[in-house]
Amino acid sequence: MGEPPSKRVEETPEGDENERPTINPPFDVEEYARANARSGPPVQGVDTARPPPRREPAEGELDWSEPPQRSEQITLTNEVELERARAQSAQNEPPRGPPSVLSMANARAPSSPSDAPPERTQSHSSIEAAVLGALSSSPAPEITERTIDDPVAEMRGRFSLGDYTGALEMAELLLAGDPGNLEAAECGENCRSVLQGMYSARIGSLERVPVVVVPRAQMRWLSMDHRAGFVLSLVDGSSTIDMILDVSGMPRLDTLRILHELVQQKIVAFR
Amino acid sequence: MEKVIGIDLGTTNSCVAIVENGVPTVIPNRGGYKTTPSMVAITEAGKRLVGHIAKRQAITNAENTVYAAKRLIGRKWNSPQVKNAVATSSYRIVQGPHNDVRIVLRDKEYSVSEISAMVLQEMKLIAEDYLGETAVKAVITVPAYFNDNQRQATKDAGEIAGLDVIRIINEPTAAALSYGFGKNVEKTIAVYDFGGGTFDISILEIGSSGVFKVIATAGDTFLGGEDVDARVIDWLVHGFKDEHGIDLRQDRMALQRLKDAAEKAKCELSSVRETEVNLPFIISSGRNEALHLQRTIDRKTLEDLSADLIERTIDICKQTLADARLEKEDVEEVLLVGGMTRMPKIQHAVADFFEREPCKGVHPDESVALGAGIQGAALIDDKHDMVLLDVTPHALGIMTQGGFFEELIPQNTTVPTHRTKIFTTSRDNQTAVKIVVMQGESERAEENELLGEFILTGLRRAPKGAVEIEVTFEINADGIVSVHAKDLETAKEQSIEVTASSGLTRDEIRDMMENAKDYMVERRSTEEFEAAKQEAERIVGEIERLFPQVENIVAASDFGRDAIEKARAIVTKARQAISKRDVSAIKGEIEGLSRTHRMFKGVVAKTH
Repeated sequence: MGEPPSKRVEETPEGDENERPTINPPFDVEEYARANARSGPPVQGVDTARPPPRREPAEGELDWSEPPQRSEQITLTNEVELERARAQSAQNEPPRGPPSVLSMANARAPSSPSDAPPERTQSHSSIEAAVLGALSSSPAPEITERTIDDPVAEMRGRFSLGDYTGALEMAELLLAGDPGNLEAAECGENCRSVLQGMYSARIGSLERVPVVVVPRAQMRWLSMDHRAGFVLSLVDGSSTIDMILDVSGMPRLDTLRILHELVQQKIVAFR
Repeated sequence: MEKVIGIDLGTTNSCVAIVENGVPTVIPNRGGYKTTPSMVAITEAGKRLVGHIAKRQAITNAENTVYAAKRLIGRKWNSPQVKNAVATSSYRIVQGPHNDVRIVLRDKEYSVSEISAMVLQEMKLIAEDYLGETAVKAVITVPAYFNDNQRQATKDAGEIAGLDVIRIINEPTAAALSYGFGKNVEKTIAVYDFGGGTFDISILEIGSSGVFKVIATAGDTFLGGEDVDARVIDWLVHGFKDEHGIDLRQDRMALQRLKDAAEKAKCELSSVRETEVNLPFIISSGRNEALHLQRTIDRKTLEDLSADLIERTIDICKQTLADARLEKEDVEEVLLVGGMTRMPKIQHAVADFFEREPCKGVHPDESVALGAGIQGAALIDDKHDMVLLDVTPHALGIMTQGGFFEELIPQNTTVPTHRTKIFTTSRDNQTAVKIVVMQGESERAEENELLGEFILTGLRRAPKGAVEIEVTFEINADGIVSVHAKDLETAKEQSIEVTASSGLTRDEIRDMMENAKDYMVERRSTEEFEAAKQEAERIVGEIERLFPQVENIVAASDFGRDAIEKARAIVTKARQAISKRDVSAIKGEIEGLSRTHRMFKGVVAKTH
C-alpha cells in the first residue's frame, strides 16, 4: 500500500491562519501607502468646500466665480441649527418637513454650464425657506434659544401640532434619559410610523427604481453629509427603493427621509 | 426531457449552468450577473436577503450576514476550522445539538446546510426563471478535499432547497470536464483555482473512457480575492488617514463603500493600468463637512500589495507537485479557474512556475458550473459518453498503535469496492481491540476525519502479535461504508456501518425543507403581487395622465361624464385591491383598467 499521493495543506507554512480575516502583509501597508502617496499618483481626500482647479472658460461659457466660503454654509444635518431655524420661522405651520440632510448651499452657488450642479426648482418647506432666508443677503433672522422645561409636554405639544419630527426628537431625548418611558416609546413609535407613511406616500411605490441624475463630475459640488452620500452610493440605477431600504443598514425612516431629500434636491429621480 | 442543472456552490460566489441543445450555458441571474454571491442575510425587518443584495449590506449588517458558510459545512464543532471561524467571523457561530455548527441570525439558529440551502434555492430560482419550468435535479460541485460528511451536508443543503442532488462532483473535475467537453483528451492537467475566498490546486489525470482522476489536491481555505481586497482597503484607509487624520474603518458605511470600491478597482486593474477610486461624501469631518476620497491606484501598486499572497499560492503548487511526486513537465496543461486568475500578475506567476502558458480556453468564473451542467446532462442522456465514475474522495482506514493511520481503501478508488487486511494485537493478553474507522490521507490518525468506532471483544489471551484480526472495508454502490473485524481463530466478528452525516437528523432536514417550501410560497406570492401591482399602477398612471384631456373633450355630454365616472370607479377599485394586497382582484381590475386606457387614448387621438 503506497503513501497517499498528497495531503491537503490546511495550514500555512507560518501557521498564521488565526490572523484572519485578513492576512497580514509582510510589509507595512501604512508606510507603503505613505510612500505611494508621496511618489505615486495623487492622493486626494477633497474637502467639499474646495473648488476644483480653476480653468479658463471656453468660448460661450459662463465664467466661474469662486463659490462661497464653506464657513457660511449651514448644513441642515445640524439639528441644533435646524431647531433654531424652525423655532424662529415656522412655529405655527405644522406639520413640517423633517430635517433635511442636504445643505442648501448649492442653491446659492453660482453655476457654470459645465461644472455647476443642475439648477433646481424646489418647493421648500417652511424650515427650509427659513434657512434659505437666513442665508440670503437680507438681514438674517434673529435666532433665539428657548429652554424646554417640560420635555413630555413639549413632545405631546409637538405631536398634537403634527410636528412629528420634533415630537420624535423629544421622544428620543426622553428615552435616552429613561429607556423605560413608555409614553415616549409609544409616541416615538407613532411618530416613526406617521413619518414613514408620509415619506412613502411622497416617494411612491417602493418598487420604483431611483437613478442619479447629477453628472458624476458635478457630484462633489453637492453638499450633503456622509449618510446621504452613502444612500446616494446605493442608487445604482437597478435597485428599487425597497432594496435600498434593505441594504442601507440604517433605520428605514432615516433612509426614506434621505431618499426623499435627494429626490427633492433633484439629485435623484425615478425611472 | 428533464433538465439537470449544474451548480457551482462556491465559498464567495455561486453559479448555475445547464446544457441546452448540446451547448453548456451559464444562466444569468435577474441582475444579469452570471455569478451570485454566496451570502445570506436577515434584515432588521426579518426579511431574507440572498446574493448581491446581501453582499451590498454585508458590512453595515455584519452580525446578520453569513458569508463563506462553505468553510463550515459538514464540520464538527471542535474542528480547528470552526474554532478559527468562531474567532474571526462577524456573525455568531454556536454549537449545535449533534456537535455540529449553527449560525445565529437575529436570534434564530440556522444549521450551515440550511444557510447553504438558501443559496442553492436562489440558484434554483435563477434556473427556473430561465427555463420557465421547475428545476429539480441537480449536480453540485464541492472541493476535491471535502470528506464524506461535508459532501453529505452539501447534499442535505440541496435537499432542503428542494433539489434532487443526483451527483456531487469535485470542482477541479468539473473544470476539467468543461475543458475536455467535445475533445478527446488524455492528459495530466493542473487546475489552479484562485477564487474569492479559497485557493486550490489540483492535479488530474484525464483518461480515456471518461475517467477523471484527482491525483493530488491542496490549497488554503483562507486565501482568496478577499485578502487582496483587504490590502487595497488598508492602502486606501492609510492614505486617507494621513491626509485627514480620520480612520475610515470606524464607520461601517464608509467601510462598506471602501470594500465595494476596492473589489471594483481590483477587477478593473486586470484590464487597465490604472483606475480611480472615487467615493464622494465618504465621511463627515465633524465640522459639518463631508470629505471625499479620491485616489488613483495603478496595477503596479496592486501587484505590490498582493505579491506575498500570490507567492503563497505558488508555494502550495510546489508542495503539491512534490507530494504527488510529479515534475512540472508531467503537467501537460494548466487551467486557470476563479476570478483572481484574471489578474495578469497571477497568470505570469503560474506560467513561470509551470513553465507553460496556462490554457485560455476555460472561463474562470463559469467553468466549474459548466462542468457540473455537462455531467448532469451526461447522467440523464445516454448519448453523452462522458461519465464520471464514483470514486472515494479520501482514503479509508483504521487507527493503529502509536496513533498512526493504516489505509485500507486508497483515495480515488472506484466504488463499489472492498479491501481486507490482517492486523494483530499490540499487547500481551489483549482481549479486546478498538477499531477506529477514519478517512483522510495523513499518516497521523489525529489529522484525519473520525467516521466511527467499535470494539471487538473475546480475543484469546496470548502474547502480543499472536492473535490475528481480519479487518474488511466495504463500500457499496450507494457509498455506504461497512467495516468488519473478525478474530480469525474464533471467527468472532463485529461490524459497523458508517454513513456520512451532515450533523442533521432526518426530522430536522424535513422541518427545514418545510420551512424552505413555505418561504418559496411566500416569496412567489409576493412576487406575483408586486408584478400585478406594478402593472396596475402603470396603467392607472397612464389613465390619470389622460384624465384632464379626456374630461375636457367629453365633459359636454352626459355620456362623457358617465364614462369619466366609470373610469374613476375602476381606478378606485384597482387602488383598493392594491391596498388589500389581493392579487386576484388586482389581476381582475387590470382588464378594466386596460380597456379604460385604450378608450382614453382613442378619445384623445381622435381630437388631435
